[in-house]
Amino acid sequence: MYTHYLKKIFHWKLIITYLTVILGLTVVLATTLGAAHISPVVVLKILLTKLPLINNLIIPTWSVGEATIILQIRLPRIILGMLVGAALGVAGTAMQGLFKNPMADPYITGISSGAALGAILTIVFGLTIFGMYTIPLMAFVGAAAAIFLVYNIASVRGKLPVSTLLLAGIAVTLFLSAIISFLMYTAGEKLHGIVFWLMGGLWGRNWNHVMMAFPFICFGSILIYIFARDLNVILLGEEPAQHLGIEVETLKKIIILSTSLITAAAVSVSGIIGFVGLVIPHIMRILVGPDHRVLLPSSALVGGIFLIWADTLARTIIAPTEIPVGIITALFGAPFFIYLLRTRKRSIF
Amino acid sequence: MQSVTLRINNIACRYETTNVLENINFSAKGGDFIGVIGPNASGKSTLLKSISKVLKPHTGVVLLNGRDVHTLKSAEIAKNLAVVPQESVISFAFTALEVVLMGRTPHLNRFEMESTQDLAIAKEAMELTNTWYLAERPIDTLSGGEKQRIIIARALTQEPRVLLLDEPTDHLDINHQIEILDLIKRLSKEEKMVVIGVFHDLNIASRYCDRLILLYKGRIFAAGGAGDVLTGENIEKVYGVKVTVKQDDVSGKLFIHPQRKRMIKATKARVHVIAGSGSAVSLMNELVENGYKVSLGVINIGDSDYITAKALELDIVEEKPFCHITERSYEKNLELIKQADYVILTNIPIGFANIKNLKAAGEAQNLIIVEKEPIEKRDYTEGEASELYRGLKANAALVKNSHGVLDTLKSIESRVHHE
Repeated sequence: MYTHYLKKIFHWKLIITYLTVILGLTVVLATTLGAAHISPVVVLKILLTKLPLINNLIIPTWSVGEATIILQIRLPRIILGMLVGAALGVAGTAMQGLFKNPMADPYITGISSGAALGAILTIVFGLTIFGMYTIPLMAFVGAAAAIFLVYNIASVRGKLPVSTLLLAGIAVTLFLSAIISFLMYTAGEKLHGIVFWLMGGLWGRNWNHVMMAFPFICFGSILIYIFARDLNVILLGEEPAQHLGIEVETLKKIIILSTSLITAAAVSVSGIIGFVGLVIPHIMRILVGPDHRVLLPSSALVGGIFLIWADTLARTIIAPTEIPVGIITALFGAPFFIYLLRTRKRSIF
Repeated sequence: MQSVTLRINNIACRYETTNVLENINFSAKGGDFIGVIGPNASGKSTLLKSISKVLKPHTGVVLLNGRDVHTLKSAEIAKNLAVVPQESVISFAFTALEVVLMGRTPHLNRFEMESTQDLAIAKEAMELTNTWYLAERPIDTLSGGEKQRIIIARALTQEPRVLLLDEPTDHLDINHQIEILDLIKRLSKEEKMVVIGVFHDLNIASRYCDRLILLYKGRIFAAGGAGDVLTGENIEKVYGVKVTVKQDDVSGKLFIHPQRKRMIKATKARVHVIAGSGSAVSLMNELVENGYKVSLGVINIGDSDYITAKALELDIVEEKPFCHITERSYEKNLELIKQADYVILTNIPIGFANIKNLKAAGEAQNLIIVEKEPIEKRDYTEGEASELYRGLKANAALVKNSHGVLDTLKSIESRVHHE
């Protein structure tokens, strides 16, 4: 049985290695695809110039414009897609684990509606205090305000009952949605911008957006991963988890806050991209099992891979017109998920 | 092996303004198996929760090895104390082995993977609880009893010095109940572990616990050995039910049997029973259930039939244990026999001590004899009883068992009714 167990751990390492390789290939492949036709060889060469040591060996055979398209337009967008997908994958996994609820997603605590309100207020009032970064910043502030509100509504004498948290999240979401609906109703010509933001997308993102989101997503995801085993144990229930030495209330707070952090960061740069955070964790639970030590990293990797491909489709399928990536994620993700549900007879949660 | 002590020092707990526990004091050391009993809402689970740090007592302290558990980290407590809850809802696809391995959590550093040693500990716990064959099965496909045994294995995997059980065997079949409690009892002695269990079943508590704590309205009503705690008086006061407390013939442990509450009114004929050696236990119960007014005699005090009749609150003509029937009780018995519409003589051995019962039976208006064996085989009077018996048999209805008695009574009554 020891060999069996060691096999399992080896298996985990293998999964993570494979997924990392696939993610790397995805980044490179997605960079070669786009409206402007640039040959894959050239793309590869351009990318290699950014790697240390070998960059001096490559002789430039491309135009400055081509390099700009690859390095300043496609690559940051792809890297951002990876970050956002990973963030949603991790956040969804953590929320479903913490709430022991398969319907939970990263937006469950009101983050999406808070971020949306922040963004929409910016659009409606035409705020430009921080230039093009005003919308992401305001979205982040809105998300933070929403989670702060929900957290305080739900906490009772220093404890955080998850069912109350869930209901508080729903209540705040509904309330903010009403304000959003009102703003949209009266938005006039600005409605298109609002709808496009709400559906989520990665168009026009640059390295600054990446740098804005990266530290939050990175820090929050690592924090959640540190508590991977605790997330396993809390699936047994809060009291049994405490009996196994988990500081349950502390854990809940850490998971809620770090999940909120990475989700808010993701939403502020990409809008509300649905489906990834709900379904990627389920798919990965079917494929790698319920242990968060492998489930969290693999959900992050597959979330990243999935969103890069979805965004690649979104920007190429009817180029030069962009489709909001949220439409693509649901359109292609849902049937695949249904297929998995039907082929695996056993309950997954 | 490190020793363990647990002291519950004058704790009180309250929900809102209601006191749930008050003035709770007791201590335990390695090897003690303590049972907490009491009716619903007496504070049993609250007591366990305040020991395991789930609930902070309003006043008082719980000392684990001399240290207040409410100042200790959960992980520190979990290294020493494990809890088996009443019921576990586990609805996800971890395998049984993975769930048991979670018992190692308090012993592992944050990034440490389970070692072969941890696996060996888990395997041993699963073998002890007879669940090793379930190791690779997903936990959500197991039955309630299998799941409970897995949870017990998980608790043992924690290598606890104190084990708290909240009605641990509620979901188990009788064989697994015995198996698990025998195991826990054995471990408590061998590993010098403190075991504190909440039990609903007083007989289980009596059988396994060295000491019992009877809670009533949040206070300790009685504490000590089973003999001191499980008295008829205590139980009637606390549970509001009359019980018979007996000693088990084999184990010498006390066992408790609730007495029937007399709910059926005696509306039918008077029936007198002549019995002994427990031959009429079920018969008397059935007669009472069917509404007959039943009496018994002459019977020696302490006989099973006597205890049953007492519990059923019947009229009894009694005689001291192992004594011959005296003239006085013979007369009293005759009195009851004459009043009775029917007299039933059960399949009892007859000696010189009780031969007067046969004589008295001759005075019966309607005699029914239950005969399973011929009288010659149970005659210890050198033929005197047989002769009397044959005389009785000539004028009696003969049946084989208590069903026969009831059938006969019914058919006689319906005949009387028709006429």
